[in-house]
Amino acid sequence: MPGILSNVRVLEVSNGPSGSFCAKLLADQGADALKVEPPGWGDQARHEPPFIGGDPHPDRGTTFLAFNTNKRGITLDVEQAAGRDCLLRLAETADVIIECYPPGRLNDLGIGYEKFQEVNSKVILLSITYFGQDGPYADWEGDDLVAQAMGGFLYAVTGSADRPPMGTALQQMEITAARNGVIAIMAALFRRDQTGEGTHIDLSTIEAAVSTPSGLIHPYTFTGRSPHRGGSDRNVMDGMHLPTKDGEVTLTTAGTGGRPMEVWAEFLEEPGLLDAKFASRQSRLENWEDLHNLVAPKLSQWNNLDLMRETMGRGLVVGLVQSPVQVVESPHLAERGFFVELEHSEVGTLKYPSAGFLMDGSNPMQTARAAPRLGEHNAEILGGELGLSTEELGVLRAARVI
Amino acid sequence: MSSVGILEGVRVLTLEQVHALPWGTGFLADLGAQVIRIESLDHLQDRKAGPFPDGKPGDEWWNEGGNLAYFGTRNKQSLCLDVTSSDGKEVFLKLAANSDIVTDNFRPGTMQRFGFDHESLIEVNPRIITLSGTAYGYTGPWRRAGSRARTVDAACGLSYLTGYEGGPSMRASNNYMDHSVGNNVAYALLLALYNRNQTGQGMRIDLTMQETGVSAIGPAILEAQRDISRTRLGCGHLWQSPHNVYPCRDNDRWIVIVVTNDQEWQLLKQAMDNPAWAEESRFASTLGRWEHRHELDEYLGRWTAGQDDQELMQKLQNQGVIAGAVFTAQDLANNVHLDERGFFSEFDNPNAPRVGPRKYAGRPFRDPGIPMAITSAAALGEHNGVVLREVAGLSAAEIEALAASGVIATTPRPEEQSP
Repeated sequence: MPGILSNVRVLEVSNGPSGSFCAKLLADQGADALKVEPPGWGDQARHEPPFIGGDPHPDRGTTFLAFNTNKRGITLDVEQAAGRDCLLRLAETADVIIECYPPGRLNDLGIGYEKFQEVNSKVILLSITYFGQDGPYADWEGDDLVAQAMGGFLYAVTGSADRPPMGTALQQMEITAARNGVIAIMAALFRRDQTGEGTHIDLSTIEAAVSTPSGLIHPYTFTGRSPHRGGSDRNVMDGMHLPTKDGEVTLTTAGTGGRPMEVWAEFLEEPGLLDAKFASRQSRLENWEDLHNLVAPKLSQWNNLDLMRETMGRGLVVGLVQSPVQVVESPHLAERGFFVELEHSEVGTLKYPSAGFLMDGSNPMQTARAAPRLGEHNAEILGGELGLSTEELGVLRAARVI
Repeated sequence: MSSVGILEGVRVLTLEQVHALPWGTGFLADLGAQVIRIESLDHLQDRKAGPFPDGKPGDEWWNEGGNLAYFGTRNKQSLCLDVTSSDGKEVFLKLAANSDIVTDNFRPGTMQRFGFDHESLIEVNPRIITLSGTAYGYTGPWRRAGSRARTVDAACGLSYLTGYEGGPSMRASNNYMDHSVGNNVAYALLLALYNRNQTGQGMRIDLTMQETGVSAIGPAILEAQRDISRTRLGCGHLWQSPHNVYPCRDNDRWIVIVVTNDQEWQLLKQAMDNPAWAEESRFASTLGRWEHRHELDEYLGRWTAGQDDQELMQKLQNQGVIAGAVFTAQDLANNVHLDERGFFSEFDNPNAPRVGPRKYAGRPFRDPGIPMAITSAAALGEHNGVVLREVAGLSAAEIEALAASGVIATTPRPEEQSP
């Protein structure tokens, strides 16, 4: 089945994880996404470990593979005039262009929004940077950790109260920026259908971090207090991770009808939980070590999947702390058809996560292709679609434009 | 609703609670859709959640919470309707017949019990789009399980990968999954509307929190299939160093410093006035710095320890070194950069005069054609009359009868406890 966005063409000149993931989200729903990379080196993510098979290889980096599904790839040196000409010709037929260059950089090269608009008045340009296109920090540089720090996530959210700030794994602020990016792009596509006008969207990863995961600003402006990390410290029943026979679990007091200790005492067959010193949330925090010493041995008798099934049957809410291996092997996700298999000439067939939703009972993620090899579709796109001759392609190749 | 109204004419009925779904439908409301949030007097926890001015709920606490304005009833309408009563069910089906989208975040089975499942709704509205946002979806062995954002953080694999170096796993956040899922809800709904514009067809969407979470850790999912394990590194990095958080002057002040290549290492050395330790050969290459990252972090931490975090950030960034102060909410609310960019949304909720004007985070994208500001925060049942009259087509007498029998309401029951 063709994807919903199969009539949308995306040109990604991003060279940044947020832009890559944003274009991937569109490509996975059928958009014809062309990834434009610098010749020779390619997207920086091609060189970031770990690599499938162990040794560095530009087509085998796991981040690159994960963030670039369903795209076609070409190389173009936009520092050279011939490269820019090709890019502008591709822009003529693009609905959406995604870029992550420093503010003003594309303008300086003569391929800023105005230039794109000249060749395609309806084009939607999404610029993603850490700090946005203007403001005192616009020229600063960042990465996911800086976004976690300056977005307030690091101070307030993940770590322990009495330890240094600590953040989340795997570039979640880049992902968050991308998730906001597709919303903005969809809005711009609707608007374009109504008005015929394109637009330039300025998206900041730091602002995505501030606005999206943690909700810091209004809690502060309402109460005068800054949220502080440590929410799960000492919290046996509602936060800590506790060992099971084959992994870890995190409990909650949800689904207990306001009688958490009675219900959990019965489930775990541990009457010690009924002690008055565990009766309130506050007293459980104060006596957390005693509580831990009662709960942990009981939980460690359970297998993860059995514990999930039994608690679910009683309406209790727990979270298995699953390793990525357990996620990949999850019977639940298998039954839902969540993973899609994509074949790649360098790394073979792997299961990839899909979007997180089924549409009319089917997984809408496209399975056109795994991530492109560097310049894989040069001939197909620059030759076949732009109509460059074999000689012209040869000239571009010799000049290292492609 | 926004003045431009990209989604003007789109009507959304939403049976939503807590975070994820309200966050998602908030985007559609910002874009001008008529989002009708259906609320129940039996489940007022979102209206009890605050935050309240100075932490103290007022006499009309149910309209005062900051979360309502930030996402709960942001730019939405509120219809306080008991959909468990037979009259309420009838009204809901009349509304659904005239709506484009129906969303819910009940556990699977509840909508069917009410007679509001997709199959029932297409009987009254063949072009309907329905979305259920659940923990684990409508199919599969875990479909009956409930969740908190934290338990999904765990079940998707993110918690396992998060933690201090050498330490145990930790949940990444108590609510990141909610907001991340909310963003995915907005994307899925916009895709469904886009599809309907092209094909005329509605759609059923089964969206899950766990799967949205897994979709955010793709690299680790690929690695897991080829026996590559990712170790927990706190703020550390798989191959870069320095890449960590370092102490600054004053209690609990910190800075992150990131060096991605040799050139940036030279710039950092210059910024530090080239101390002798930094010239050691073991720190000369990317690999060497990473292998000796603990010693490097120790040295660097001693250098940052006496300095002001924000001044040091300015100095380092001005010299080309990637750095960022670890901002508190207070720092952010007073930040000159965010302020100059017009990031914040200042909103004075007329439904909560005691609250007065407050600053909220804005949306992270700026586009003159797509204003996303907070313009209203619906009071409990504020739109009962207008929605029942204009969307369900009820007469004034019928609406009055619903009010008299308690099927609709605008205030909590007298016995309801203040939060």
